[in-house]
Amino acid sequence: MSILAYNGAAIMAMKGKNCVAIAADRRFGVQAQTISTEFEKIFEMGPQLFVGLPGLATDVQTVFQRLKFRLNIYELRENRRIKPKTFMSMVSNLLYERRFGPYFVEPVIAGLDPVTSEPYVASMDLIGCPMETNDFVVSGTCSEQMYGMCESLWEPNLEPDDLFETISQALMNAFDRDAVSGWGAVVYIIEKDKVTKRFLKTRQD
Amino acid sequence: MFLTRSEYDRGVNTFSPEGRLFQVEYAIEAIKLGSTAIGIQTSEGVVLAVEKRVTSPLIEAGSIEKIMEVDKHIACAMSGLIADSKTLIDRARVEAQNHWFTYNEKMNVESVTQAVSNLALQFGDDDPDPGAMSRPFGVALLFAGIDEKGPRLFHMDPSGTFLQYDGKAIGSGSEGAQQALQEAFHKSMTLKEACKTALTILKQVMEEKLNATNVEMCTVTPQNLFRMFTKDELEAIIKDI
Amino acid sequence: MAFSDMMSYNSMKQPLQDYQAPNQLHFNPYDFNGGTILAIAGEDYALIATDTRLSQGFSIHSHDNPKTYPLSSKTVLGCCGFHGDVLTLTKVISARLQIFEKDHNKQMPTSSVAAMLSTILYYRRFFPYYTHNLVAGLDDDGKGCVYSFDPVGSYEREVFRAKGSASSMLQPLLDNQIGGKNQQGYVAQPLPLERCVTLVKDVFTSAAERDIYTGDSVQISIITKDGIKNERFPLRRD
Repeated sequence: MSILAYNGAAIMAMKGKNCVAIAADRRFGVQAQTISTEFEKIFEMGPQLFVGLPGLATDVQTVFQRLKFRLNIYELRENRRIKPKTFMSMVSNLLYERRFGPYFVEPVIAGLDPVTSEPYVASMDLIGCPMETNDFVVSGTCSEQMYGMCESLWEPNLEPDDLFETISQALMNAFDRDAVSGWGAVVYIIEKDKVTKRFLKTRQD
Repeated sequence: MFLTRSEYDRGVNTFSPEGRLFQVEYAIEAIKLGSTAIGIQTSEGVVLAVEKRVTSPLIEAGSIEKIMEVDKHIACAMSGLIADSKTLIDRARVEAQNHWFTYNEKMNVESVTQAVSNLALQFGDDDPDPGAMSRPFGVALLFAGIDEKGPRLFHMDPSGTFLQYDGKAIGSGSEGAQQALQEAFHKSMTLKEACKTALTILKQVMEEKLNATNVEMCTVTPQNLFRMFTKDELEAIIKDI
Repeated sequence: MAFSDMMSYNSMKQPLQDYQAPNQLHFNPYDFNGGTILAIAGEDYALIATDTRLSQGFSIHSHDNPKTYPLSSKTVLGCCGFHGDVLTLTKVISARLQIFEKDHNKQMPTSSVAAMLSTILYYRRFFPYYTHNLVAGLDDDGKGCVYSFDPVGSYEREVFRAKGSASSMLQPLLDNQIGGKNQQGYVAQPLPLERCVTLVKDVFTSAAERDIYTGDSVQISIITKDGIKNERFPLRRD
């Protein structure tokens, strides 16, 4: 079995009208055994910028810390907020440095541009090959299920409330068909003037 | 060359010049030595009744079994060489269970009868199935059961021929019993009436005096499927006759 | 040249080779030809849909190869995976159906087709037919029914099921839209045929977007007491 699926995770991000959403499950497990149902997989990298890190839990936390380190340096040197696209390059660069001994995470990035508030979502593989899209990105152990859900449910220009409903349904129904992800979910709706974080109660099996 | 009947009654696979298979005919004759068995089909279910010949007071009457359960929904009564029926009943049971195993449904009474008939016809085969014999079987069978077509009664003889009947008698008293059945049977007969009729006719054709130990009776109904009558239930009906 | 000279000559020319593991060649009896099937049981109908693409790796063998096989006027089989096994299995089933009809003077009921398929598959427990199977049809009461199978004969009656290459994309959406999963206060009610057909077209269009083994067109077979009706809907062809 792949090391990427050792702990289990499901993360997706979606664009809406002047907003983006990012959502993740909350399970931390070791193969079939569930250890925790309050595990953080989405990290705040700025007021309107979030990164989701599905993959090997130890690498999730290490990659987050190293990203935070580089981000702090960037913001101190530049004295301004990072743009989502620049942040994506930073993640990509960090991962590619470990090209032949990679971190086992496949990140999802979601945010609004600090200046223009342009929605942005992107994902990449474990060695930092980026993919920017205009609709949604998915990553984790049930990516096929998430693609099936998103492809059917997503539509352009969703308002924040509709975007929340869409991403929640897409995520929950996808990870309900995956044995190693689920056990509750968290959804961030990122708008120009506010970020809403909601926890979802889901089936616990 | 002097050809008598005895020249053609040795092999089971040789026709006589008149086109007869004597061994099969003899086997059919053997049935007429057996104890009488009666089956009646009604719209409510089927009843089978057989006489048991308790030839000695030292025989344990309960050990004579001439009605057997093939499956929950099919019963079989027999007359003739009862030992021969063992392999036939075994085949019927295996076929019924195989059908259930493969198709998850109850096997039709007709199909069970057909399967047993296939075995009964294999006498003298070069490469027979297990259970087949070198001579025709010496029993006749009455298959009674419930399937999607409702209550069904089939008779099969040693030649493998089988036919559906409303009422059928086999065995030594069959001639008189069949006549009596024809007179007594009508399409609107209830199962209760049929049970009583079966025992009444048996009583007429039996040599011994009919009582609860020298007869066996069973019914097959959509509600209760295969059910043997207890001694008490038999006594209650016999008292009425 | 003396024999002993030849020996020494050869051993000089060909020094002892390094140890090598023996070469092993393997015959792989299976292939994967893609395809997605989907079945839904309604109140008085059953619906089974299939894409029509037959492929192998990055090449497409056929744009017009539906993977549903009508077995009788009220039963349809959906069968995909390794096409060689699909062909054999469907032939075996057709033959068994014909024998049954002659033996028992009746058409095999859908429930019995399912039970029989389970045994056929299980008899190949240790060299399985590499096929994903669905049986859709009407049961003895005229109600719609769907049976789903694994390749070695485990089976179950269900209301909706997707099988094949894009099954993991379709199934969660069916859970949600037909099963009412993750919808608070959802009350199950009879599913109208029109809604079913629309849903099937939608999910197949979605699957064709992401799964290279699903596409070209989708064929929907609707089984009612009046027989089987087929309908085609185009999908992306790339």
